[in-house]
Amino acid sequence: MEEIVFGIGITALAGALATVAGAAEDTESDIGSQGDPNSQVQLAPQMGYIHRIFNKAIAGEPPAYGLWVALGAGLAWAFMAMHINPILAIVLGSALAVFVQGVYATTAYLGRTASLAKFGQPVYIDILKSMTTVTMAHAFIAIFATVAMCHLMISALGHPFPLPLLGLVWGIALGAAGSATGNPFYGKERQYQEQKFGAGVPISASGNIVRYAEAGQRNSLDNGFFSAKLGGPASGVCFGLIVFFELWRTVVFEPFAAGWGAVVIGVVVILVFAVIDRYIEVWARKTFGPYTVPEEASS
Amino acid sequence: MSVKIEVGAGGIPHNQILIYGLVGSIVLTYLTYLNTITQTQYFAFFGGLAAVAALIWGTDTIKHLCSYGLGTGVPSAGMIALGSGVIAALVGATTGIFAPIVAVIVAAIIGAVAGVLANHVVRMDIPVMIVSLIELAIVGAMTVLGLAAMVGGTFNFTDLVTGTTTFLGFTIQSYEASVIGGSIIAVIFMLAAIAIQHSFNACLGPGEKQDRTLMLAAECGFLSMIPVAIISFAFIAFIPAIISLVISVVGWFYTYAQYIELSKRDAYAWLDAKPILEPKGGA
Amino acid sequence: MSALGGPKQTGGIQPPTGTGLVVSIVLIIIALALAFFLVQMAGLIALIGIIIGGVLIGFGVHFVPVGGAPAAMGQAPGIATGVAMLAAGAGLAGLFGGAWAVPLGIPVALAGGAVGGGLLMAITCTMVNVIYVFGMGIPAASGKVAKDPITGDTFPEYKSQGTEGHGLPFISWVGGVIGGALGGFGGTLIYIELLEVYQAQLPALLGATVEQIAPVAVSLAGIFAIGMFLMNAVLAAYNITGTIEGPHDPKFKRFPRAVIAAAAASAVAGIFAIALSGLLGVF
Repeated sequence: MEEIVFGIGITALAGALATVAGAAEDTESDIGSQGDPNSQVQLAPQMGYIHRIFNKAIAGEPPAYGLWVALGAGLAWAFMAMHINPILAIVLGSALAVFVQGVYATTAYLGRTASLAKFGQPVYIDILKSMTTVTMAHAFIAIFATVAMCHLMISALGHPFPLPLLGLVWGIALGAAGSATGNPFYGKERQYQEQKFGAGVPISASGNIVRYAEAGQRNSLDNGFFSAKLGGPASGVCFGLIVFFELWRTVVFEPFAAGWGAVVIGVVVILVFAVIDRYIEVWARKTFGPYTVPEEASS
Repeated sequence: MSVKIEVGAGGIPHNQILIYGLVGSIVLTYLTYLNTITQTQYFAFFGGLAAVAALIWGTDTIKHLCSYGLGTGVPSAGMIALGSGVIAALVGATTGIFAPIVAVIVAAIIGAVAGVLANHVVRMDIPVMIVSLIELAIVGAMTVLGLAAMVGGTFNFTDLVTGTTTFLGFTIQSYEASVIGGSIIAVIFMLAAIAIQHSFNACLGPGEKQDRTLMLAAECGFLSMIPVAIISFAFIAFIPAIISLVISVVGWFYTYAQYIELSKRDAYAWLDAKPILEPKGGA
Repeated sequence: MSALGGPKQTGGIQPPTGTGLVVSIVLIIIALALAFFLVQMAGLIALIGIIIGGVLIGFGVHFVPVGGAPAAMGQAPGIATGVAMLAAGAGLAGLFGGAWAVPLGIPVALAGGAVGGGLLMAITCTMVNVIYVFGMGIPAASGKVAKDPITGDTFPEYKSQGTEGHGLPFISWVGGVIGGALGGFGGTLIYIELLEVYQAQLPALLGATVEQIAPVAVSLAGIFAIGMFLMNAVLAAYNITGTIEGPHDPKFKRFPRAVIAAAAASAVAGIFAIALSGLLGVF
């Protein structure tokens, strides 16, 4: 019994760390315009819209976070092998992984922007100075929380994978959850703020991203400020729920029916989410209504 | 709306880079064998240099492949390269002194199969697909093998799976504290997967220049060496690890500075805290 | 994933070429024969398991609704990220659960892997709809079909002007969960088969007990499972040229090509992974 209570405590802690990691990950990638919204930042100068937005095309978020977290975990593993205290090891490992992230961020911005010379997009060096550090800070939180979570899974819950492999697995999952949830909010709601609310961006408007702020010119810190309001927390909730339910169903229900308990509970959780999703979908259809009258009265 | 991939023309022909990359990475990987011959670990850093040589070649290959448009992101090419490369590298490592050669052959087989499947079954019908995937698989294999040799001081499988750990003052052998048992291979896998695709992904566009892209590839290689050198403190002696670290940092610093110079050369303008320059005639 | 121009979309589905089919079948047979020759019956069963796992991954990717860059702008339905990597995220989360449950028996581990992958996709897809509906005020509408095959919802009148649809209709949600579950199941199957081979072979080769080599076996099986997962997922991503809405998308009909490719690629990669321990004994 005590073991299960301990397991639930670790599960809750891991879920909380994952939530923080997800929120930091999405805010970081939105400040850097990483992931899919990057295509518009790249496209804008070609359409004649010169901008001052950070263009950090390192890779998609899942592979990039796969690397940052696996690297943080690998370095932490090595420091622990050198008999350094685990907490200090994880902090040092994450800090070094963030250094690599920062360097990749600068080379990505310089490379993409220099290749756009033909369209008159200059390199704004102050963007690098002011925004790289902010993305590094967010990335540090995301990496540290995820590596700490992986360490808990191994040392407290007894997962068989070594720390770096677990870091790779959860890093890719973190990037997948964060990019899936957070990207549309930044891509549609922020980059195309001038377009109508409650509708997709017409394809003809592509590249016409918002470049001026309430006062002065918009930079990516304004975007981080914006996506930290919904996109970031939603990504955090998404990744937190994933980690929490994944651990919870195993820790609490694995002793039942020789392990099948965990499987059954997993299926039940999936069905619960199916109902929630369907409810949201129907609610949206009723509340927002059709854009046009149904053609041929839909019989 | 999708962005058309445009690449710059000219520069060093691809075949020349291929030969330098292939021969260079094999020779440099073999130089780590000096560790086994001289019973030291001072030559571990050659593994990292082999990875740099392979990455420069791989970047040029990715540029050729991706200029055809794959329908999905450039990073996918890096993933398939390393997915096949890591298998080839570890299979190669089991063959002792023949490791680099076997890794190249196995990688070529896996890459050729993936290329034939991509062109003839999935019907990508891209002329350079088969050759490119062979090259990328070899690059992936050599990068993994090189970095593994750098972190463990050797590319021999049995040495990569055994490590030592000190417990209460006693040194005991442990499989858990080894390069493979600790899954440091997973770190190397991701380091190489990002490094191989980043340079072209970051530099693509109409103003792409080969020298800048390849300089970035070298920078990515040296940058990947830095954390590998730090991890190697857990496996090899202090002085060899310091040598690796110093060489990585010096190489990274030089290539990074060079890359910034080249970006300055190619950029439309290099501005600090200046407003948006609206193009003449308005947007 | 950056939006990159894909190969030209042709109206019909080009079937695999004759060469492609013959090569695939020959490769699978050769691999199976080699597996039997090297590790006898256990090797044959392991390789068949790996091939099935690879096929499930390649098939599963086709269910995952991915819209790529246009989805981030509400211009196309689906999840706004790269298809290979989203599938990898789900499959690897499944692998996490599956690997954990291995001591409880293979059926539980496989079911656990499938549920783990499905769970990630279920939560992610739900959160995507939460953002679309509560953050952007956009109802779900498919661009490829007029009616949801499961719920019977009609879409054309919910599609905003100048877009191909947006959000995740229920059919895409179901597709995502099925895709995640197939990926998790396939990844776990590859992992378990390789783990069994290594646990049977490595103790004798290294002169250690099963418990001692467990970290090496787990790491090798884990990294190879990830490598093969990425290979198959990227080949499947090439097959659907980057974006797909789910099982109702006309592109879904292309899946036989990816299934053949995944089977042959897994057979070749799998035979090398199995042969690794055999080679170790030779050198």
